[in-house]
Amino acid sequence: MNATASLRRIGLPRLFLHLSVLLICLLWLIPTAGILVTSFREAGQITASGWWTALTGAAETSAARLADPSTAKQEGSNYVISGSVFEEGKSGTVRAFGTRVAAPTEYDAGEAADIGDGETLVINADGTYIYTKNAPFGDGRGKRVYLSIAQPPTFTLDNYRTVLTSQGIGQSFVNSLTVAVPATIIPILIAAFAAYALSWMEFPGRALIIALVVGLIVVPLQMALIPLLSMYNEIGNLFGLPSRSYAGIWLAHSAFGMPLAIYLLRNYIAGLPREIIESARVDGASDFEIFVKIILPLSFPALASFSIFQFLWTWNDLLVAMVFLGTGKDQLVLTGALNALLGSMGGKWEILTASAFITIIVPIIVFFALQRYLVRGLLAGSVKGG
Amino acid sequence: MRTSFWIGTAVAALIAGGAVAQELKFAPGEDSRFTWKSYDDFKAAHADLKGQSLTLFGPWRGEDEVLFNSVLAYFNAATGVNGRYSSSENYEQQIVIDTQAGSPPNIAIIPQPGLLADLATKGFLTPLGQENADWVKTNYGSGEDWIRYGTYKGKDGNEAFFGFPYKADLKSMVWYVPENFEEAGYEVPKTMEDLIKLSDQIVEDGGVPWCIGLGSGGATGWPATDWVEDMMLRTQPAETYDKWVSNEIKFDDPAVVGAIEEFGKFAKNDKYVSGGVAAVASTDFRDSPKGLFGIPPKCYLHHQASFIPSFFPPDTELGVDADFFYMPTYASKPDLGTPVLGAGTMFAITKDSPAAKAFIEFLKTPIAHEVWMAQASFLTPYKEVNPEAYANDILKKQGEILTTATTFRFDASDLMPGKIGAGAFWTGMIDYVGGKDAQTVGADIQKAWDGLK
Repeated sequence: MNATASLRRIGLPRLFLHLSVLLICLLWLIPTAGILVTSFREAGQITASGWWTALTGAAETSAARLADPSTAKQEGSNYVISGSVFEEGKSGTVRAFGTRVAAPTEYDAGEAADIGDGETLVINADGTYIYTKNAPFGDGRGKRVYLSIAQPPTFTLDNYRTVLTSQGIGQSFVNSLTVAVPATIIPILIAAFAAYALSWMEFPGRALIIALVVGLIVVPLQMALIPLLSMYNEIGNLFGLPSRSYAGIWLAHSAFGMPLAIYLLRNYIAGLPREIIESARVDGASDFEIFVKIILPLSFPALASFSIFQFLWTWNDLLVAMVFLGTGKDQLVLTGALNALLGSMGGKWEILTASAFITIIVPIIVFFALQRYLVRGLLAGSVKGG
Repeated sequence: MRTSFWIGTAVAALIAGGAVAQELKFAPGEDSRFTWKSYDDFKAAHADLKGQSLTLFGPWRGEDEVLFNSVLAYFNAATGVNGRYSSSENYEQQIVIDTQAGSPPNIAIIPQPGLLADLATKGFLTPLGQENADWVKTNYGSGEDWIRYGTYKGKDGNEAFFGFPYKADLKSMVWYVPENFEEAGYEVPKTMEDLIKLSDQIVEDGGVPWCIGLGSGGATGWPATDWVEDMMLRTQPAETYDKWVSNEIKFDDPAVVGAIEEFGKFAKNDKYVSGGVAAVASTDFRDSPKGLFGIPPKCYLHHQASFIPSFFPPDTELGVDADFFYMPTYASKPDLGTPVLGAGTMFAITKDSPAAKAFIEFLKTPIAHEVWMAQASFLTPYKEVNPEAYANDILKKQGEILTTATTFRFDASDLMPGKIGAGAFWTGMIDYVGGKDAQTVGADIQKAWDGLK
């Protein structure tokens, strides 16, 4: 099939649509790709050049030190220091060199540089050098030279190794799961009950409660941190229990996630066909039976999509965990542990990018496990009935 | 969901047994650089605390946390107390939440006296007593100044000593690469006039003298406050500095505006700063010093506190590949002496217990200082420690500056109320570098300060 025929089959508007979708996808992926590439680069490289240069292998200027003057050998009337500018086991290609930092590429590789005082220096492309002087060399450290080196692209797994082998990371992984899993299940269970009651059970004040729940969505959780924690402290003191526990953070996460959960699920459940529920009533089913046998199976897409949201939020959360679980080594969640790796001043991009890909693993597994419900579930509440 | 459980269990099994009791970094009694006698005396005096627990909460994370834990290990070993340190990125907010909600750690470690003063006024701190204050006065270099920064009004309105200083930072420093200086034939300037002359010389030679970066995420602007404070101490007497901190003289007073303009002489001169003035506010302070080590160098001078070597390229040997000199004073103002700008962390008791009291006692032993000194990035004004214990000559030189300073002044922005020192002052400096004039910026910050009253 030739190009015109296939174009006619697809149609110009559709082709345009596909191309724009492709373009948008690429644009969205660029930052992620950048983070991925950065996570495989060395700390020094990250600050020296952008990630997009990582694949080409750039000419890098660097400094090297020639051997100490004490290693000089006398050859006739000249004194000679020789060796290689590369450390043992390393290699590269020298393109140019210089002896002054202000002009690091003054001489081409292999060219004899006359640096005054009767000194000449030759650095070859393979890194070997001959440094000659017509009189003995002085004391002190070896001479500093500057090189322009053609670097092949290099990548490292060190960043991942640092993150994965840092102390307490495994413990914090388990802690994060201990927080996130119950903190996802509890609010969904309660919210599903509430959503059913608020959509299909007639009782006075129902509209008021719905309005209250919707109103609670806009309350920022930061406002509740101190009062809630001091309440926990009082309860803890009363029973002689520690105020910071997993039960505490599950409750906190459940409470913070509940308004949105109830709102979302209510709108979905209220949109189920009235006929099904009424015929179940006529057949003599109790509210509980209707909920378990009809509502729950029918609203599974909404439950699944909300559980993805809630899981992502509790997994990525740092603030609530720090406040209600504490910062001790044995309670630290993954986000807290990775944050601590960055040091007091932050700014360690290599650690940050590698940790980003490590933390993302679990949410991705959860997402793919539940994603077939997500598309249906995303529409939850958008078509509002009853 | 089940899959993730299994992964969790697998990872947990792999890393199980990671919690190993911490070993002492330097074996007691072995290295003569350390004052082991103080350790033994402390151990003998605090034998009755075994089994108690102690929680500490502070600003250090990552490498710094490892270093502090190595000090804490000596306290734990000597007393049998189970002392645990933890931190959080937003420790300033977290300590407020914890104290207000009633579940504070035993000891809070805070580098901002302004924040501690706030906690003290609300009655969350336990006074350390006159005895500790007297100890600091006699044993620390410029001890009276240090006491002042640890003394706040309590809930009852009376002033008391709450914050015990331990670990200092030196700010009045200019970093440079000695070999770059040698090659170009530059000398380390002894006076501010010379420093300006040197900057002009570098420009004339086709180079760029300064790397200045104010970027720091949400705290962007703070490096400029250090500059202004340093300039304040070099153009005005220390008393004026104190009045500025307490807002007895306004932020738009000619003295303050003058100091801001002194900073502007460097930061607002396109020829002086790497990348031009536009790059000053957008360059991250952590990336800024890397310009010194560029080939060819992007700049020759960098003004920053004693912590900055951790952001030098790896393998940089301090004292050889990089060095610092004291930010010089004006030869035309000899009566101002040699002022030093610094900062420090304060230890305050937020929940009293015998173990917490004992930890403050521990900070008074030379060994508590020497263990950290001998590793990295630690300065102390404590005069009884053995300066030989410093890990390198750079630290030793900084320690000397700290113990022999004629005037020591704490970082003003840490002393001012949070909304100013960690807010309006920062944003004001960004505005200033962005093009506003010093008078307007001073007036803006003063307006914010008036709003607090």
